Amino acid sequence: MKIYVSGLYCGTNPQPGVGIARSLRAGYPEATLVGVEYSNRSSGLHWKDFDELWLQRPWEELSLEDYGSRIRDLLDSGALWVSGSDLESLWLSDVFPEGHPNLLTPPGAALKQITKPAVRAAEGLPLRIPTFISTDCSDWEIHAFCRQHDWRVWLKGPYYDASRVGSWGDFEYVRGALSKVWATERLFVQAHVTGYEESVVLSAYKGELAGCVRMRKREITPEGKTWAGDVTEVPEEFAAKLREIVRRLDWTGGAELEMVRDAEGQLWLLEWNPRFPAWIHGATIAGRNMPALLVEAATGVPAREARHVSEEFTRVVLEVPVRSQLPLPPLPEPFSGAVGHSLKHPSGLPALAERLHKLRPEMFKAEAAPGANGNGNGNGNGKGHGGVKVSCAPAVPDSFLSDISGYEFAEVATPSWLFLGGTAAEVFGRAAKLAGGLSTAEVAVTNAYSIKTNPDARLIKLALEHGFLAEAISLLEVQKALEVGFRPDQVVLNGPGKWWPEGLMPKEEMHAVFCDSVADLRRVAAAAGRGELRSKTFGVRLRTPQIASRFGIPVDSPDAFEALVEAVALLPRDSAFGIHFHMASSNVGVGQWWHLYESMLRWCRSVERLTGRAVETLDVGGGWFPDDWHTDSGERFAAAVASAREHLPNLRQIISEPGKAMSQPTMALAMRLLEVDEPRRSGGGDDDEEGEETLEAVVDGSIAELPMHAFQPHRILGRDPSTGEWRPLGRGKTRLMGRLCMEHDVVAWNVELPEGVGAGDVLIFCDAGAYDRSMSYVFGRG
Amino acid sequence: MSLAVGKVIEINETDFADVEGALERWQHWPASTISHHGEACCSVAREWVFATDYAQLGGASPLTGPRWVRHRYPWGPSRWPIHWCEAVRRKSLDCGALAALAHEVFTARGVKSFPAQFIQQFTQDATQDWRSRWASEQTPAAWIKDDLIYHEGCAVVAAGDEIKVWDSTAAWWVNTKQFGGYHGVLAVRIFDPQAGPDTAYRWGTHTITPNVWRKLERARGDFAGE
Repeated sequence: MKIYVSGLYCGTNPQPGVGIARSLRAGYPEATLVGVEYSNRSSGLHWKDFDELWLQRPWEELSLEDYGSRIRDLLDSGALWVSGSDLESLWLSDVFPEGHPNLLTPPGAALKQITKPAVRAAEGLPLRIPTFISTDCSDWEIHAFCRQHDWRVWLKGPYYDASRVGSWGDFEYVRGALSKVWATERLFVQAHVTGYEESVVLSAYKGELAGCVRMRKREITPEGKTWAGDVTEVPEEFAAKLREIVRRLDWTGGAELEMVRDAEGQLWLLEWNPRFPAWIHGATIAGRNMPALLVEAATGVPAREARHVSEEFTRVVLEVPVRSQLPLPPLPEPFSGAVGHSLKHPSGLPALAERLHKLRPEMFKAEAAPGANGNGNGNGNGKGHGGVKVSCAPAVPDSFLSDISGYEFAEVATPSWLFLGGTAAEVFGRAAKLAGGLSTAEVAVTNAYSIKTNPDARLIKLALEHGFLAEAISLLEVQKALEVGFRPDQVVLNGPGKWWPEGLMPKEEMHAVFCDSVADLRRVAAAAGRGELRSKTFGVRLRTPQIASRFGIPVDSPDAFEALVEAVALLPRDSAFGIHFHMASSNVGVGQWWHLYESMLRWCRSVERLTGRAVETLDVGGGWFPDDWHTDSGERFAAAVASAREHLPNLRQIISEPGKAMSQPTMALAMRLLEVDEPRRSGGGDDDEEGEETLEAVVDGSIAELPMHAFQPHRILGRDPSTGEWRPLGRGKTRLMGRLCMEHDVVAWNVELPEGVGAGDVLIFCDAGAYDRSMSYVFGRG
Repeated sequence: MSLAVGKVIEINETDFADVEGALERWQHWPASTISHHGEACCSVAREWVFATDYAQLGGASPLTGPRWVRHRYPWGPSRWPIHWCEAVRRKSLDCGALAALAHEVFTARGVKSFPAQFIQQFTQDATQDWRSRWASEQTPAAWIKDDLIYHEGCAVVAAGDEIKVWDSTAAWWVNTKQFGGYHGVLAVRIFDPQAGPDTAYRWGTHTITPNVWRKLERARGDFAGE
């Protein structure tokens, strides 16, 4: 019996070839094992269980047609083939569309059903699939997905590679890197699931399950790979379904279902790999030799019975002698200034991926699952993979288009801020209505406008007209609010700089003053005691204990908490007491923000119990992304008000400060194209002809006017030259570079310019009314 | 513990461990609890623990182990009795204090939690080391008997009568399958003051009757018999 085993890479993220060979050797001591590899850098070539080696040229060089034909000859001669590589299995399914009795890899139709992330094949198993979104979607939608999942998300490649991304900057960087490695833009973002990792491994031949085991990871490498584990029976309710699925898929070969079990015991499927895992010999140690079961099922030749040694296995690092005919190759020269010598994918798997993409693009299209919508369970986000159509261009509110239609751009000197008056009125009106609807006889809900997000007098005036309070972080901001028409008793004063500049503190009573530190509290209390500072409410800002913040009074140690409790006693007794917390929901994510809210209610309740001061005012908010605040906010806010009342029975007022949710949609930035370059190929490494086509364009706007470009996407409108209509730009190959002679002045990556646009045409960057506006700076203007 | 060379190694000292002697020694040991001075000092500390726990949970399931407690308070000798205001300011806490805090935290989350006691096996080397450390801090080491130790954690009800056992010192869920050996759990007792005569909990394949020590059978591998 001769068995070819591929996938001999044995780095920190190893392929399974060596483990398969060890198990086959245990099951079939007399078999001839042939190690197959595509790089002499793969150290598994030197493993003693291989009787022969079949070393091929790397995938980027290999003649696929010739190689396929040689494999056919081998199989026809009676040899068996066990693949240790997903992509090799995929390619073999194309070479052998009808299969081959000796090819122990899954058929193409089955592989289509396990395409990540939807994994249609898993339907019926007692598990769920974490919510995901394809990077085919617009950046606007992807950013929303990340916020909804608290920036606890993974950006994953189509075959291998996954990176945790915690910010928009991370996401853009990793997307660029993965797209380049795997020659595809079709990546996906998937929600992280916290829990313990476990796998089910199966062995099957022509749709009959030969065996399966469950493995729980007990030690994990920094890359999250198995270092030790325990191997047990698969629960029958899982195994029974698996048997049905294997039959339905007509599966042949090994497979591993990688899962996470959360704290509630729910299993979440991360991947279905079409091969045995690298730890497979651990199962043999436990008494279940999966590769031997596969060969036994295929040949009918009984394998030596696996002997149980231990239910638990672990890895060690071994040095083995290098085979004399395979001397070690030298390390490649490091790139100048770089650290290390990249050895990832020495066999050239990315090249195989690229070649397969070109040869058989249809192979990579997952079979659409009915109702596939992002989580495989019918309650996702509607932006799924799996063949479901996704929107490349973001939706833009009608009010934007209506406001923009009022501008005559021939007369607009760009770059220029556009005030979207209709949109602004709508946003403030909606917020006022929401607050009114949430107010009860016991608790009044009042909006506050954060002046720092955009101190434009038109917005401050709208806030006043819609019953907002004015939230200021300096006395200059207080003055601005008063100039626009706010009374002092409509002003909330916050922040560490509330005494700056000296001499501008209003003499009249303010609505609320919140202290940012114990030192600030002492100063406030002293000023109030002298009658120099008056306010209906004096309170404290709490520093969020679990999310890093520089603001507020800390509560992260018993001593700090005790100091807070003691300090509150200094605040004037003839004013109401309040507590304030702010955290940018767009940074920490929506779920995290709401958890923080509930957490803060508990801190407030504790402060109330311990100080004897009733919490009558609660000031919450900060940094809401407009879509998160305006969408479905009614129900959630109503529940939040009820929860606040439950925890704080003395509460009289909730001040809601939505931050940029108010101002961000109200302004856009118009800029003109200065030049549009000819398309060129780039990123092809040594052979530029192989690179992808990109376009570069220069605009007269810059990051000086869009300082938030690195933190959030902006919806960009371009005018269709044929119809004159403004349309949101989809994802494309154009890089929009600003006018500044600064390397990092790129205002947008990967946009699709409307056909026919050129120098002089206007682009409008929406969603620029908050910190883009207030933090923009003068640069490069002489 | 001695290991044979050149053959399959079986570490099977559980059978020789003096579990009966350990059960006898720790038969009447109550589970540890944190005391309250009845003053603001302990009230502040207690409120701080619960508010911190909720914040640390980060929106995760209440059945998530409160690993932050162990992260904040390394394991080490504690003097008893210990009050809330002292416990939260200690640089280290022993297993009893860590377990009591974890039990309080689970209970505050609304999870049904029971104090749990274990008898665990280590080695004479390990227990000797602990003895000298405890002695250097003038703290009694009655929790050590030869190579066995008395240890505490808590058990939480996951669903129905199924429990999970949290080792608050190690900050992990104790494996329901115990093979003996180093760090192996040989016996368990959980305290359920509301338990009736028929009350029993499932912990993996074990049936745990509350308030009495339960010696654990040595597990066999699922595929051992094949």
